[in-house]
Amino acid sequence: MKDRILQTLRDLRAYALAKGYTVEIDYHEEASSLMRFANSAISLNTNEHLIRLNITAYDGARKRASYELITDLEKLDEMKQGVEVAVEMARVAQPLAYEPTPTVFTESFVDESGYDDALAELDNAEKLAYFNQVAARLESDEIKLSGIFSNGATTIAQINTHADHAQYFKFSDAQVTAVLAHARLKWEVMAGQSAWRKADLDPAPPHRDLAFLLERYQQDPPLQLPLGTYDIVFGAEAIADLLNFMNWIGFNGGSMKRGFSMLGEDKVGQKVLSDQITLVDDPQRPETFPFKRDFTGIPRRPFPLFERGVFKGFIWQQDDADEFGAQPTGHTVMHTSLVMHGGEEDVATLEQLVRRPRQKDLLYIPYLHYMNLVNPSRGIITGSSRFGALLLKKDGSTAVPYNVRLTQSLLDIFGERVAWLSRQTEVCNTSMSYGPRNPRALVVPRFMCTEGLEISHSNASY
Amino acid sequence: MIETIRQHIERLKTRGAAYVDARWYPFEEANRLFMLNGNLKDASYSRESGVGVRVLYKGAWGFSASSDLSDLSALFDKAFDNARTAAERVTFPIRLAEKDAIQAQFASPCEVNPFDVPLAEKVAFLKEIDARLNQAGVFLRMAHLNFVRKQIVFLDSEGSQIEKQIIEVFAGMEVNGRDAQGVTHERKFRLGQQGRATRGWESIDRQLFHQHAERIVRELQELLVAEDCPKEDRSVILLPGIMYLQTHETIGHALELDRILGYELSFAGGSFVTLDDFGKLRYGSEKLTVRADATVPNSPGSFGYDDDGVPAQNNLLIDKGILVGAITGRQMVEEANARARRKIFDGSSGANRATSFYRVPIERMTNINIDPGNDGTLEDIIAGTERGIILDGDRSWSIGSNREQFHFATEIGWLVEDGRKTKVVKNATYKGFTLPFWNSLSAVGDSSTWELRYVDNCGKGQPNQIMQLGHGIPVCRFDNVRIGE
Repeated sequence: MKDRILQTLRDLRAYALAKGYTVEIDYHEEASSLMRFANSAISLNTNEHLIRLNITAYDGARKRASYELITDLEKLDEMKQGVEVAVEMARVAQPLAYEPTPTVFTESFVDESGYDDALAELDNAEKLAYFNQVAARLESDEIKLSGIFSNGATTIAQINTHADHAQYFKFSDAQVTAVLAHARLKWEVMAGQSAWRKADLDPAPPHRDLAFLLERYQQDPPLQLPLGTYDIVFGAEAIADLLNFMNWIGFNGGSMKRGFSMLGEDKVGQKVLSDQITLVDDPQRPETFPFKRDFTGIPRRPFPLFERGVFKGFIWQQDDADEFGAQPTGHTVMHTSLVMHGGEEDVATLEQLVRRPRQKDLLYIPYLHYMNLVNPSRGIITGSSRFGALLLKKDGSTAVPYNVRLTQSLLDIFGERVAWLSRQTEVCNTSMSYGPRNPRALVVPRFMCTEGLEISHSNASY
Repeated sequence: MIETIRQHIERLKTRGAAYVDARWYPFEEANRLFMLNGNLKDASYSRESGVGVRVLYKGAWGFSASSDLSDLSALFDKAFDNARTAAERVTFPIRLAEKDAIQAQFASPCEVNPFDVPLAEKVAFLKEIDARLNQAGVFLRMAHLNFVRKQIVFLDSEGSQIEKQIIEVFAGMEVNGRDAQGVTHERKFRLGQQGRATRGWESIDRQLFHQHAERIVRELQELLVAEDCPKEDRSVILLPGIMYLQTHETIGHALELDRILGYELSFAGGSFVTLDDFGKLRYGSEKLTVRADATVPNSPGSFGYDDDGVPAQNNLLIDKGILVGAITGRQMVEEANARARRKIFDGSSGANRATSFYRVPIERMTNINIDPGNDGTLEDIIAGTERGIILDGDRSWSIGSNREQFHFATEIGWLVEDGRKTKVVKNATYKGFTLPFWNSLSAVGDSSTWELRYVDNCGKGQPNQIMQLGHGIPVCRFDNVRIGE
């Protein structure tokens, strides 16, 4: 299949060259399956196979336009027509005020190391069996199972008229979330798993986490937390979601130049976060579905973002770098591969966290629902707790808090108030299925405790 | 093609499928143009076509979609196989509410097909807007035009055949500036219905954009030298630029029946509403009447027939403050009535929609509208407010997982003291609990304050879907609301 895809792209390139066109051609193929559960049933079992072709044409140095079609490999004439449309659009496009750098692949590059056929081709029976094991003995008349098992394959290939080399990437991925919800009381607990190969799939850990949380939620007293400041232990999913916002308003050079960042150029080299925070974009970690080359052909290597709290520098996509006169950093990719280093505390599981001696009450928030940016310049986000928050009392007991809202700056959450990080890390799959398949995951500490964060809203019931 | 699809539908029926439908998109095309500080960052065109097949077998759904139409037989078989697997885990066998078999066509109202307009003319429009926005204090200026055209052919095993031709137009502009503290502020304008009967290229009204360009630049300039919003309780007067989102997040999403029944718990969340609440729950004050009206002329929330093949309708959701209806499709109303052991819903409200051929239909908002009230104009409402704040523009929104509470940041606020608008404040936010908030509704503006706003980015579902819809909303005032946090 790889040869056929690349040959199709070469045919298109030859067509464009023969016509004297300047084009860049991006191929994206997905085979996606999703089994969705709700109310302890499979509420939807779906799959789709889609091939998208994106053609960007240039007219002179500064005019460009693009055409995208959903197609299949049989339809070369349709693709050629797409080239014509893109070229025609570029002719009447407005010239840019800057000159985009043409993408020139200096060598061909193929990376299929992230592809596992066994994961991409998991059949319905295997997925159902996995989910049945995750939820085994946990469902009841009142406790209902929800969740997804999403798996698939993503193939990306790129070629252009500047050079005769091509790039080719292929990944497999799976994302599992399993939710147990009380049908009447409307609370929910969740566990998940990410996989880039079939061997990563193991229903035991999510089953263990769900069973533990379920017991707490069924036995512990619920309560409305008073408003005020709390020492909060964030779970891995919450940490991953918070870090994802930094992709946008933290270390992105284009966002910074457009006034949409909590960090300015003067912060490079400055200590802006806790010295416990080290964050790297690490394309050598296969769990993060990494791109080892960016889409302009730049080899991607570990890129330090924060080192013991010191901000090391902005990432620059090619187009932003061209617009603002910066050097691209190999970040013209669909997603980064963020890895946050663990700390020094041995806390491998939620059960260990709960049993850990503590001097003060701790609020455990595993997941932040519907986060949004209140003030990007100050890094302020807001979101609500969900999916299994616990109040870990200093006397060793636990209680179930009704959901609370946190409106706080990322600079505070990851700043000097960070008390500790777990040594153990976890892979968090943060893929969304809006648009083309784009599996992404972060590696983050299982737990991070930040002191003195304010709860601005507290529910009076579930 | 239609006949071939029909044959495959019949074939699956003979294999035991209880219901089959197919949505064939002969084409869906989009044209997007985005100008940022004078640079045409995005000038793109896209086109796709394909078929999505939905099969109901032994009480469970299977779905499959492909752009490759060379092997429709395999596509239908895959959907059937997916349903057979799903049937191995059924707790409440799916039944579909009755509907008539329909042979119909629908075309959204349009005078000038935007796809017939030369690209150069569209680019020239954006340049013109960009020049208007390029004024003192503006650090970042954006303008966009998005056009969508699609043809959908719906066929089902109950004898329906519906063909739809839909054209969408979304356009807007935004300015950003930095205050003395380095904090970025924004003002934007998005094209809505503006009282027009059609939405083609003709709705790109230069004069309208020019007027609003001047307004948003002026308001941004005022924001850049404004004081911070105070942290206190006040009456809040929500203009349509934020009122639409308040309605969307805390009424619209909360009343999607699939959410109420727990079908979105693994992702988007649930709803605080229960089946017992219909006909009883006081959702808001007596001034609040809300309807899901998919018959409004000229809105992305008006689509003729939903993707169950049910005609668009105008249904009350909240009647003088009391919850009476929900946003429903054929599957969910049957399940809700059965679970409640009473007939809450007479049938589908025609709100089951999919965003593309490769997504399955789910309950989506249509036009979730609030009826105009009797409390006069905006000026009348301001005059009747002792200590308040007028808020406009969506900057951020975050909602509790059961839609029970919310936090919104707005673009701009104007303090109101003793019935007079006094000064602009920046970083204005407000928050609340859904039911107390709607029950604090103390004034609803008349029809002079009512606007139909378009939404082109409503996300929901797994696999995720982005949907287009509308909100017709008047200016509203709510009392004792926490602001500035």
